[in-house]
Amino acid sequence: MLTRRLIVCLDVKGGRVVKGTQFVNLRDVGDPVELAARYEAEGADEITFLDISASNEERATLLDVARRTAERLFVPLTIGGGVRTADDVGRALRAGADKVSINSAAVDRPAVLTESAWRFGAQCVVASIDAKWDDAAGMFRVHVKGGRQPTELEAVAWARECVARGAGEILLTSIDRDGARTGYDLPLTRAVADAVDVPVIASGGAGNAEHVRQAIADGHADAALVAGILHDGVTTVGALKRTMADAGLPVR
Amino acid sequence: MTTVYPPRVTLFDYGAGNLHSLAKALEHAGAAVRIEADAAAAVRDTDALVLPGVGAFAAAAERLAPGREAMRDAIAAGLPTLGICLGMQLMFDGSDEGPGEGLGLIPGRVTRIQAQRVPQIGWNTVEPTGGAPDPLLAVSGLTIAYYANSFVCRPEDADASVVAWSEHEGDRFPAAVRAARAVGVQFHPEKSSAPGVAMIDAFVRSLNTPASTSSGPDR
Repeated sequence: MLTRRLIVCLDVKGGRVVKGTQFVNLRDVGDPVELAARYEAEGADEITFLDISASNEERATLLDVARRTAERLFVPLTIGGGVRTADDVGRALRAGADKVSINSAAVDRPAVLTESAWRFGAQCVVASIDAKWDDAAGMFRVHVKGGRQPTELEAVAWARECVARGAGEILLTSIDRDGARTGYDLPLTRAVADAVDVPVIASGGAGNAEHVRQAIADGHADAALVAGILHDGVTTVGALKRTMADAGLPVR
Repeated sequence: MTTVYPPRVTLFDYGAGNLHSLAKALEHAGAAVRIEADAAAAVRDTDALVLPGVGAFAAAAERLAPGREAMRDAIAAGLPTLGICLGMQLMFDGSDEGPGEGLGLIPGRVTRIQAQRVPQIGWNTVEPTGGAPDPLLAVSGLTIAYYANSFVCRPEDADASVVAWSEHEGDRFPAAVRAARAVGVQFHPEKSSAPGVAMIDAFVRSLNTPASTSSGPDR
């Protein structure tokens, strides 16, 4: 039986892991290669590196970090941030990524998902969607450029389109909950997870182990992504996975 | 015949994806790793062949085509081989994923997983078939492994080749197959943490047994 995954996310800038709230107020939390290895040892099912600088100079830095990480990491590594083309996906895979997440570029030109899936297989193409509740419009609105720029897209419809175009997985981040530690956005997660046939990773809002359980049991996510609560020592990978197991969720 | 050490392991690179972790795990196990993009050259001057796991069937079959006969003959003659994910699928006749011929070492085809959530992405349990478990699985203690696949192998004679099964939403599929010295695994041992690395280690160590001390077909 396929287990539910706990994915540890490291936001990388200038070759260091940083953490902020709602994509701002960044502070240094450590070396990505060291942290990735430590989280694998603690039982993380996957590691994700998000390049939050999204500048060309730092892209090379991130690929170097990925290369050094892949030499030591024996769980899957996903890289995202600033990926524009299928060639970018190829470079990330060559550098040591197993999966590549695509965000703004897919909104600008959805064909990049299809081109990447055709060349490298759908299993390595992750559509990353940042969504925020829009009260006036009564919908979860997709944002791009690190959550700063609203689009006309509605999150559930956009997730469906990403899958139709070749994405093999959805990384769904709630901008409202990012860094807030008040729990994942369950209505958003459930709406997207129920609408697509590929795995959905819930992201944004984890404050404790119960939140992780809720994202999977109530939000219908296949995986939950956590970051800040681990970097700050609020909890551990082991404690999170124990709570998942105690709640009857299949875990590794 | 003198024992060759460190064992030479050649990774057949069909151009798609991440070979770093796999190469590193093989090196860590003591292998001298060579990465080779030519299929015929990949089975020359080597003690073992590894078919890595990332890519699409059609593209891989195209890269395989010019050296397909040479590779199949070498494996059939006893070259120890480890096929991972797509690499396992290439050991079969063909795939519904796309055109092109596999190696045809195990009769059967590759078809889509019969499940709602596809691709299958994540850690799944690996259950050995009855009887003595395959040495690679037994030694490593691997019982759960990382998968990332939409397609699985359907051997015509499962009893003859399948050594372990997994299941996704009710579709039971081969987790591992063996044909003499060739082993195929649908999961990614190089992504399955310590037990997966132990399996790769066991594969490399098995190359030092008398049956594989040379790469020639005369054994």
